[in-house]
Formats: sequence, structure tokens, C-alpha cells
Amino acid sequence: MAINLPETDVVVVGLGAAGGVAVLPLAWAGLKVIGLEAGTWMNPGQDYKPDEIHNNVRALVTTGNKAGNEVPTFRTAPDQVARQQPRHPMMNAVGGTSIHYHAQSWRLNPWDFRVKSATIERYGKEFLPEGTTVEDWPLRYQDLEPFYDHIEYEVGVSGKAGNIQGKIDGTGNIFEGPRKRDYPMPPLRSCEFVDHMTQAARSIGFHPYRGPAAINSQPYQGRPGCAFHGWCDRGGCHIRAKSSTDVTTIPRAVSTGNLSVVDNANVRRIETDNTGKATGVTYFRNGKEYFQPARAVLLGTYAYENIRLLLLSQSAFHPNGLGNNRGQVGKHHFGHWDVQAGVAVSALFPFDINTWYGAIAQGVMVDDWADDNFDHKALGFIGGSTLHAYTEKHPIASAAMNTFGRVPKRWGSEWKRFIAENAGRWTTAYIQTNTFPYSNNWADLDPNVRDPFGDPVLRITAGPKLNEPKAASYASGKMIEWFRAAGATEIMGGQGGTGPALSTHAHGGTRMGLDPNTSVTNAFGFVHDCPNLGVIGGSVMGTAGARNPTQTIQALAWRTAEQLVRTLRRA
Amino acid sequence: MQKKSGGNLPAGRSMNRRELLQNGVKAGAVVLIPLVDTSCTTELPPPAVSTPLGSDNDRTLAAVADRILPADELGPSASAAGVVHYINRSLAEWNQTELPVLGKGLADLNEVAIARHLYEFSALTGEQQDAILTELEAGKLDKVVNGQALFNRLLRLTLEGMFSDPYYGGNAGYAGWDLIGYPGAVLASTPDMQKMRERLPMLHTSGHGAEHDGH
Repeated sequence: MAINLPETDVVVVGLGAAGGVAVLPLAWAGLKVIGLEAGTWMNPGQDYKPDEIHNNVRALVTTGNKAGNEVPTFRTAPDQVARQQPRHPMMNAVGGTSIHYHAQSWRLNPWDFRVKSATIERYGKEFLPEGTTVEDWPLRYQDLEPFYDHIEYEVGVSGKAGNIQGKIDGTGNIFEGPRKRDYPMPPLRSCEFVDHMTQAARSIGFHPYRGPAAINSQPYQGRPGCAFHGWCDRGGCHIRAKSSTDVTTIPRAVSTGNLSVVDNANVRRIETDNTGKATGVTYFRNGKEYFQPARAVLLGTYAYENIRLLLLSQSAFHPNGLGNNRGQVGKHHFGHWDVQAGVAVSALFPFDINTWYGAIAQGVMVDDWADDNFDHKALGFIGGSTLHAYTEKHPIASAAMNTFGRVPKRWGSEWKRFIAENAGRWTTAYIQTNTFPYSNNWADLDPNVRDPFGDPVLRITAGPKLNEPKAASYASGKMIEWFRAAGATEIMGGQGGTGPALSTHAHGGTRMGLDPNTSVTNAFGFVHDCPNLGVIGGSVMGTAGARNPTQTIQALAWRTAEQLVRTLRRA
Repeated sequence: MQKKSGGNLPAGRSMNRRELLQNGVKAGAVVLIPLVDTSCTTELPPPAVSTPLGSDNDRTLAAVADRILPADELGPSASAAGVVHYINRSLAEWNQTELPVLGKGLADLNEVAIARHLYEFSALTGEQQDAILTELEAGKLDKVVNGQALFNRLLRLTLEGMFSDPYYGGNAGYAGWDLIGYPGAVLASTPDMQKMRERLPMLHTSGHGAEHDGH
């Protein structure tokens, strides 16, 4: 039998990028909050190392026990048996994957919120990709703008505005939506390679700008500026310059006295009463089962686990899983098509570029070929990709470089001479593509594979997409043009990639919408037929921008939390 | 004490600890770098590590690694830079599940050498070794199960040993990092350490501090 705990106002499941932000407005409002986290606190001074074996080979920062026990299975067609993937892309810890992410911190383009209607307006209904289930978001960019602003100032984001209340500034991103004010910090330090790529982009008429980062470029809120040691990817920040939630919003929420963090808590079910409302959650901690009653629940695990926990939480009122009476949980699910399995463009320069140090977010970005920033009429696809040239290169990965066909073998004396000359002369561009939901892409419970509790893991079915590879290939061609303008002598890539896979950018599955027949959550992220259960995270997003989703996830989480404050105050 | 450079091609000047600290301070770096003075690192014997593969397989492994990264005018061979130490450490600690497959693969590879040339793999000429490895890489050695996968793992582990932090037993005297021009692991970089169009000065710093650089 579960041990019954005293009731709290709000229980937040998962203290990562989303839950870690949501706790702050709740705690500020005086609500009593319990934060349940499957991992525990990391110790930045001790746990994070400038070491490729530690971070990238052994994955010692990114590994989480709970996530590792419930890795989803994956297949590309419904007639296949889905296979469990080797590794979960996310980590368990207070702060979650915001600890080891690249911290590129974006607002979506206003177009991302209304892809369907904007496409019909500009190109006609037949221009929408075949099989897509895309709908406009139930909110517009301008509805989210104040919350983007909160995140930039309360979490800490550095960057340069390109559009302040309609006034365009060409040193920022001229394609961004209007914002109330500039970032609280200037962009991260530049370097010769970033300056060089910026000039090259300008020389061919592109509009380069320094991408925003949730990394301090200067001391901010008691944390130091970035030291650019080059171990941001899959490693935490040893000096707390990266604005992960474990060093920003969570400690501030704790300091109000209203947030209690419960670590190593393995949440297994969201409980509901006979009217369908959530009563609390059941979790395991150190071999004991607990029931945490709450007036409201915020579900803030990763997209995969948000979907799975809803499907597992069956009851008389929700026989097919919580919020799933219309079969929408798990539908409209998709990964960022190109991430970890897609297009890459690599370039070799005839001189040392020395991008060893820095950070992935220390880069230069081009939006000219993303979103609806160019005329698609003759192209036969919608959306596009952002292009990002950046720094941070680790020695093993550098030596394992593509040899661009310059040497016949990938070992031996001739190859050794090649890498001695060229390991410091190559780079890869990061190309992210607008991605949409399709009827051939969904998540459900796997019939065969279970976690150690005996619960099924999530199964992802992701059929081929036709639109996104076209968009990515087109943008890759622009990346090749950019590298050529920068003087690269060898350039590889530009082909459509191998397609979807498990992703750190999983989207959808509990989509927000006005119509309960095509969505799981309402315009504020609360489950249609379980109004005191809010979902936060990428699972509520109906489209993926051509950029990292985290800041949008955080802005939505803040907005959901504020709405919950209003609701609970009324009650 | 005389500072010894690990390789010839990266003719970068080694920056000493004081210069580095000064540069870091000038740039206003927030946390300065517990930098490692590696003056005498190459004089010490290699670390004592277990050999989970056994000495026969170790000999084969060293010979394979040395065909991947042979000794030449650019620097020492893989085994001379401690790559076998690294691989053994990984197999003893975090990579234990791979031990049986790797052990069997190396033994099978050695059997191919003996069947073909009457000598074990490590005693063959470089040309003979290359011929066998080329067939292994292409998956054409019938005697070796999953030959391509074995070759890829041996290649990958050799690269890990040569180019990882010397803390793990490879990259002795920073030979691997000198080869490719990676200055060293640091906790903060200055704008000078992000300059283009020139080989950067080698720092010879481990991410684990002086007492842990493995040499």
C-alpha cells in the first residue's frame, strides 16, 4: 500500500527545463509546491569535467537511471516490430537536460504558430504537405511574447534583438517577431572563426546574426559569464554560467520556502477521481510507494514520458489513458527531423580554424532559408532550415574526421599525415528544419518491451516525411554556398538524411488546441477532460520551429503555471 | 627542467604556466584553470594497469593499433603513446561487456596470421599486417566473425586512446594532442586560444590536474 502524504497545492512531475521553470511563478504566488524529480542534484564543481571520455564516450553527465530503464522503441512502419533504442537522449537530474544541452535559446518565428493558415493564405490549401495533421496553435506569437521575455530575464539569455517593437536592427535577427525589449545580456563573446563566417554570409547577401544562448555572456544574477572551455556539449557547466534550471529558477523557488524538491522519485501514475479530475500522483522512492495528493498536477517530464504516463494512468473515467477518451494522446507526435539523424554539411578549410574551445552556442546563425522567410512558390515544400556555424570541437571526434576523399584509407601513415594537418581545419554546420506532425507518426505503448516495474515503454512509429527532407536539402545547398564563400576547399553533405530517430527535440503527443477532437490540452496546456492537470514540455507543441525548442517550452511552462495560479486562487 | 615536445609537426611554442595564468587574467577569465606543469611527464614509466585481454591479445592489439597510427616523423606509434593501456583500462572499468568479443576477435585475427604466414600477427611485416587488416575492414576474413565491426571498434578504441585525456593512460606525453594541434584541456579559454590561420601553442594540460594526468 502506498504511504499517504499530506496534500499540497501543486505537485510538479519532473524538474527539468520545463518543470524547473514552472515552479518559480507558482512559488512566488505563495502556492505550496512539491517537485518530484527522478534524478538528484548535480554538483557542478565535482561532476562536470573538461573530458571527452567522461562526457561524450562514457556519457557520465547525461545518463539517467530512470530514463535508461524506459528507452522507447522505434520503427518506421506499422508492420515492423519496434526495436528498443540503445540510449535515451535525455538525463535525470534536478535541472534535467538543461544541464547538458547546448543552450541555444530561441523564440519561435511567428510563422511557426500559424503554419496552416499562413500557408493557405500565401500558397493555397493544396500546398500543405500530404498527410500532415498540422493545425494552427491555439495561441499566437504575441500571446507568448511576455513569457519569452520572462524566460530571457529570469533564466538568463544572452543575445542581440533584431526587432524591438517593429524597429528592425540588422545586427540582430531581422526575421524574428517583434519583442518588447532587448536581451538582458549581449551575445556570447565572438571569435575569429565566427567573425569570418559572419563576413562570408554578408558577402553573399545572407543576414547573419549571433544566436541567442541561455548562457551568461557576463555576470548575471550572481552567476559568472561563460569561460568558453569547449565542453558544453553533454557536459554541465562547472562555473554555473549555463542557465540550467538547477542553478537559476529552482534554487530561487526553493528559497521562497514554498518548493520542496523530492529527488530520486519515480512517478508511476497520475491518479484521478470518478469525475476525471486529478487527485495526485503515485511514486516510488527508495523501494517505498507514496501517494502525493495535490489540488493540481503539472506533468513536466520529457515528451516521451509525458505521453507514456498519461497512457499508463488509466481509470474508470479515463479507460484508455488519462485525457485519451478521444484517442489523441500520442498523436501528432514527431521529432525534430534532422536532429541526430539528418542532414549535415561539413567543410574543410585550407587553414587552421581552431574551433577547439568556445561553446556550441558561440556561433553565427542564418535565418534566410528558414520558416517562411523566402518564397516557396516554385519549390514544392514549406518551411526550411536555420544554418548555424559554431565552435567547440573535441580531440577524439576531430581525429575521427571525415577525410573528404583526400586519402584512400581511414588509418595508416598517409591518413595520420592527413589528420595531423586537417583535424583543426574542419567543421560541421548545425542545420535544423521546421517539422510538422503527420498521420504516419505517433507514439503508443509498446506491446512487448517493459520497464523494470513491468510497465510498457513508449513505442514510436515514424514513417517517412516528404516535405522536411526537401526543405533541409534546399537549405543545405545554401550552407554549401556559405562555406564556399568562407573559403572552404572541400564541402560534403547536402543530401537528405537517414530520417527520424529518438531525439532530444521530441515534439507533440499531447498537443495544445481548441478542439478536443484533435488535441489533448487546451490553449493553456490543461488536459481537456482533466482540467487540474497541466502538461508542460515539447509534447504540447504542434509544430517544431527550425530551431531548438527549449525556450518556447519554458515560456509555455511559465504561462501554464501563471494560469494555474489564477485557477487555484479562484477556487 | 627542459620541456619536451611530443611531436614535430605541431611546431607551436609551448606556453608556460605563468604565461598562461597571465593571459587568462588579462582576458578576465572568471575561474582560472588549475593548469598542469608537465615538465617531467615523459620521463616517468607508463602507469600500471591490468591486462584483461591477456598478454597474447595485448601483443596483437598493439600491433593493430600501430598499423592504424604508425610511428613516423610526426610522432610515436599508438602503442608507444599508451593506447593499449587506455584500451585495457576501458575494458577493466566501463567497457567490460566488450571484453569477450574483443578478446575472441583478436585471437581469431592472430589465428589468421599464423595460418597464413606461420607467425603471430605482431611478428608479421607491416605490409602483411596491412593486408590482413584491409581484409578485416572489408569483412572478408572468414575466420573472424563480424570482422567489419571488430575493425571499426579497434579503430575507434585506438583513436580514443590516442586522443583522450592522458588521465586514462593513452596520449602519453600529449603525443596525440600534439599530432592534431589540440592545445590541451582547460577550464577557461582566452580569445587568443580561438585564433585562426596558425597552429596554437601547445599547453599540455590534463582536464584532471597535474596529479592525475596519468604519467
